[in-house]
Amino acid sequence: MVFLRGQNDVSRENAEVEEDMADLKLLHDAVLNGKRKDAEALTQKALDEGAEAIAILEKALIPAMNTVGERFKAGEYFVPEMLVAAKAMKTCMEMLRSRLKAKDYKPLGRVVIGTVRGDLHDIGKNLVKMMLEGAGFEVVDLGVDVSPEKFVEAARQNQAQVVAMSALLTTTMLAMPDTVKALESAGMRKDVKVIVGGAAATDAFAKEIKADGYGADAYSAVELAKSLIGKK
Amino acid sequence: MSRMVTVHLKPLGSAVELPAGAPLADALVVFGVEFPCGGRGRCRGCRVRVIEGSLAPTDADRARLSAAELAEGWRLVCQARPETDLVLELRQWSGLVLADETAFPFDPVEGLGVAVDIGTTTVVAQLLDLTNGRILGTEATINPQARFGADVMSRISMGTTPGGRARLTSVIREAVTGMIGRLVHGAPAGEPVRRAAIVGNTAMHHLFLGFDVAPLASYPFRTPKLGTERFRGAEVGWKGAAAEASACFLPNLGGFVGSDILGVILATRIHESPSFVGSADLGTNGEIVFGGAAGIVVASTAAGPAFEGARISQGMRAAPGAIDRVTCEDGRLSAHVIGGAEPQGLCGSGLVDAVACGLSMGAIAPSGRMAAGDMAVAGPVSLRQSDVRELQLAKGAIAAGIQILMKQSGKGAGDVGTFFLAGAFGNSLDVANARRIGLLPFPMETVKPVGNAALLGAKLGLFAPEGGGPLFDSVVSKVRHVSLEQDPEFQDLFAELMAF
Repeated sequence: MVFLRGQNDVSRENAEVEEDMADLKLLHDAVLNGKRKDAEALTQKALDEGAEAIAILEKALIPAMNTVGERFKAGEYFVPEMLVAAKAMKTCMEMLRSRLKAKDYKPLGRVVIGTVRGDLHDIGKNLVKMMLEGAGFEVVDLGVDVSPEKFVEAARQNQAQVVAMSALLTTTMLAMPDTVKALESAGMRKDVKVIVGGAAATDAFAKEIKADGYGADAYSAVELAKSLIGKK
Repeated sequence: MSRMVTVHLKPLGSAVELPAGAPLADALVVFGVEFPCGGRGRCRGCRVRVIEGSLAPTDADRARLSAAELAEGWRLVCQARPETDLVLELRQWSGLVLADETAFPFDPVEGLGVAVDIGTTTVVAQLLDLTNGRILGTEATINPQARFGADVMSRISMGTTPGGRARLTSVIREAVTGMIGRLVHGAPAGEPVRRAAIVGNTAMHHLFLGFDVAPLASYPFRTPKLGTERFRGAEVGWKGAAAEASACFLPNLGGFVGSDILGVILATRIHESPSFVGSADLGTNGEIVFGGAAGIVVASTAAGPAFEGARISQGMRAAPGAIDRVTCEDGRLSAHVIGGAEPQGLCGSGLVDAVACGLSMGAIAPSGRMAAGDMAVAGPVSLRQSDVRELQLAKGAIAAGIQILMKQSGKGAGDVGTFFLAGAFGNSLDVANARRIGLLPFPMETVKPVGNAALLGAKLGLFAPEGGGPLFDSVVSKVRHVSLEQDPEFQDLFAELMAF
């Protein structure tokens, strides 16, 4: 059977597509500007109107967080702006999670992240986590005061491609080489990329402890993770 | 015998001799050269100009100094190992360290006494006549541990290495012994120093006394060594008239909050206050106190380094050449420079003023964004976007610490009767500008600078009956140390309060 569609149907479809794209643009802007409640409402509206979770993620959320990263790099956005944008995105992600899972959506990669043993600072680590999620990574957050053994176990259990470690204190960053060694002992070093960050760490330090890279800030961390797992 | 080189310092007129190829930093720290990054070649704080002779630039020199600066002879002292004689341009660090001359009631005792405030950045000591309370002399010096790191954590890090702790302990003891020796030299001959009272934050306390600093290196930052320590002067190297002094290092309050803050509490009498009051010592470690006779809460924010210039592009301590005051009128900035010399950089109070001016002129948005780029302040000194961000991090942490401690006391900014600002930075800070940038939420008339209250507290400890034990115990028992990073609200508040 062939259904002939009339002119009205086609233009209504075009209008609907335009409206959908306009809604996604509004959602994109809401996340970019950290308007959590607006973002939540717009995500719900899009879902109610039949938009695919993957489309919402890839056309609105990820591009918004990418722009957040660029603005941070350009000095326009700072910690507060990144945090509110990331919170808005997180709210939307929660709403999409089960649908993404149902569609067997594959994240860009899987990252295990934590602040090292003896250190409690986590604002930077949380920002990196949010930016990684905003880029399409799945992130397992181990929290703070994470021992080398816990990093190894979590990387194994989650089949993570990246282990990301943060330390703020010159005294606690010494736990980072311990984690690299623990991965080696577990025979897992070749299977993961190790990246480090936090005010105490440097590029030279990362090389010294045989990590795969150092991220100076949340935006660089995302770029680093992407390049290390071979994604642009 | 190794070949020696001589390094002349002008206009100072001094000279130092050291073996060729030896680190120049060790010889120059006493002249006031700053090492904010601890001599790791990661900042520009230790730069000096070679005016005669040559010193080959190192990789770190090339990374931190511009081509023009290198050509003019600027080099990083921390990297310098002179092989030939040199003449360096170096002005004298002048003692812009805050002492204390506050009169206080006391019960006279026989003999002389010494009070010492071992600050992370500066050390001050006073000799007192215990029979009449008169100050017979004051000595001040840069904490020689600064050579190894401006902040407490980098010193603790060194303190956990073999030999590192011993070195840190010996340099600070040498400095204090030297100061006391000079004080006694100027005192009535033959008079013994009977007592000494010392205050300092927990890290300074541990390093002076030679205690293991490993507990302070990581969470939960809990050391067993919080109590009062009593010893004879000779045990820490004091000689002559001070060798037999009964010395006491006052007790710490918890975490990194040490006896210096106990000193602040004693001096401001927070522990006796019927109303709710507070204080902040915005030096290197940013300690905050709130409470009264009913109970006291304390915390440290470690936000100080930004105010002391370590991560500010042209930051410096309050010393000749530092801009310590900036005002604006009709869109034009005027800067006051310490010592009236050419402006070289911004110290804490100058930074706060510059940002306040930038905000009112629209050069800095409430978010902290500088849309039009660097803001010229005076001469070669400008305020950069990264400087504003560093300040936002520091003031966000302190502002959040203030809010959380007040909240934990069940109070708000309107409940605070008086807010004492202790320390040199507190003394020079313009309160209106501190309010403008969101550092302090209190009305102007509430805020009172109290100078070196820690040193005054040490002096009160010197005269306290029964060696101070009952007094110290009574205060310590009222104090609860709060770990800010464990408060679930800290993170959000910190981020929120970064904005102006």
